[in-house]
Amino acid sequence: MSTSSWLASDAQWPDGVPEKRHLRVGFIALSDAAPLIVAKRLELGHEHGLTLELSRESSWAAVRDKLLTGELDAAHSLYGLVYGVQLGIGGPREDMAVLMVLNRNGQAVTVTPSLGEAMARTGDLRAALASLGRKPVFAQTFPTGTHAMFLNYWFAAQGIDPLTEISSIVIPPAHMVAAMEEGGLDGFCCGEPWHAVAQARGLGRTVVVSSDIWPNHPEKVLACRRDFVSRYPKTAQALVRTLLSACRWLDMPGHRAEAAGWLAEPAWVGAPRDLIAARLLGDFGRLQGRHALLPVSFFDEGVVNYPHPSDGMWFIAQYRRWGMVGDAAVAGAAQTAAAVSQTALFEAAARAEAVPVEATPAHEVLCDGKAWDAAVAGDLRAYVDGFDIRAR
Amino acid sequence: MLRVLLVTDTDKPIGELRTALARLGCEMLVEVAKPQALPRVVESERPDVVIIDTESPSRDTLEQLAVMNAAAPRPVLMFSADGNQSLIRAAVDAGVTAYSVEGLAADRLAPILEVALARFAHEEKLRARLAKAETELADRKLIDRAKRLLMDRRKISEQEAYAILRKRAMDQGEKLVEVARQLVSIAELLG
Repeated sequence: MSTSSWLASDAQWPDGVPEKRHLRVGFIALSDAAPLIVAKRLELGHEHGLTLELSRESSWAAVRDKLLTGELDAAHSLYGLVYGVQLGIGGPREDMAVLMVLNRNGQAVTVTPSLGEAMARTGDLRAALASLGRKPVFAQTFPTGTHAMFLNYWFAAQGIDPLTEISSIVIPPAHMVAAMEEGGLDGFCCGEPWHAVAQARGLGRTVVVSSDIWPNHPEKVLACRRDFVSRYPKTAQALVRTLLSACRWLDMPGHRAEAAGWLAEPAWVGAPRDLIAARLLGDFGRLQGRHALLPVSFFDEGVVNYPHPSDGMWFIAQYRRWGMVGDAAVAGAAQTAAAVSQTALFEAAARAEAVPVEATPAHEVLCDGKAWDAAVAGDLRAYVDGFDIRAR
Repeated sequence: MLRVLLVTDTDKPIGELRTALARLGCEMLVEVAKPQALPRVVESERPDVVIIDTESPSRDTLEQLAVMNAAAPRPVLMFSADGNQSLIRAAVDAGVTAYSVEGLAADRLAPILEVALARFAHEEKLRARLAKAETELADRKLIDRAKRLLMDRRKISEQEAYAILRKRAMDQGEKLVEVARQLVSIAELLG
């Protein structure tokens, strides 16, 4: 028991004492775990009656299993992981919850230097891949995750069928650079700082950042089992408030550079500070994009964090597109996403933190020219049918 | 005969299961020690069962194969109401996770999990017992310090000091060691 709880009375928390005060929260060693690491370093939970215990996990499968067994209360999770479990794709099924979005943007695709040169020379991905003389091999991080879906989307936008023309494998983010060094891998899509590390070691060249695939795409979320929310509603709200203050802190001047120093420590990410800092601050070297390249965003006055059900529906649409679920999942997508996204809880927490609530998802145009917004999500069947390249 | 693949990419000596499982009549495939090698081996060797460290980074590679390839082994459902729940759970607790092809009868998987448990659960229990003993020792030292503080400050006997701590713990609904910890830390603060 800490000194603060010895001294404090329960009246300190106007929303009531959290039902559960000590939380185990899982994360994967990535720069976008920053909100959790900031919350822990600054003990931002104490103000809300929470003590966070962070647990670094070795795989997304372990994150999933530990959420399901209750070994973890909540976790830094790939958006798509939550929906993969909710729909029971290739593994256990369970009712899941997205408490808030932890970040948008901040991912990338990096290819070998020779493929990068071929892309620059030909200006055409298909022609550049043909120069390999064999089926290209690209790595991502989890079958239902954001990187798998973004990589597929990026290939298909350039007329390449990722299911038949690309060998897609999963390699843990922290192993990507070693896999590039070993050879046999032509490129990868995952979070930072592994792109910066690969490029600094001359093993890869970042060719597209994820904001150029889908500007302001949802990425990592704060996830838990749905029954955690119903059993511990005050705790869940206190946790969202804690992470909102961490996200706000990250947007203040100078704070990202400071956070980069913490992330660099072996207990958290364990990569060179300067490489983490560069991409956290939006330094992508000479890389050009179709838009101004957006660095990872954590807050933007709360715009980042709202758990829009439509964000989740996009993943269900892509699962259908690639044959990972059937038509029923698309028909039930709105209902599924409304149950997963804890919008009421988020709004209450945001108000308590004086964070503006922006409940309308942004209208964005993705890299294939297709728009995505609430209206498009409203006719998900038509959206899925609108893709020429898809599972047959 | 079941074809079994062992993934040996962590410190946990999963490879040591090889002989025991062969004795059970399993056909042991060549071991895999890197995530990037897994897809090729699973495709060419078609294992019925994969045994992997629960904390292995290669697990996500197996998850991908389970989703994209219907013939590949998938995570053994430890959360459904199927049989062998306690066995599967115990294996995970011991740090061993199994992936098996669809339709593999639970009673064919069970002996493999039993062998993995026999190898690893014992060690886990030993480690847990050691950790518990160490915690108990540390707790006792802390309580002794708290007692001495009270005895010095209030000029009372050890028995009386213990009674004070005990009463405080009961009043607060906390463990004795927590009350001792608070007392010691406040005493340190006061110097």
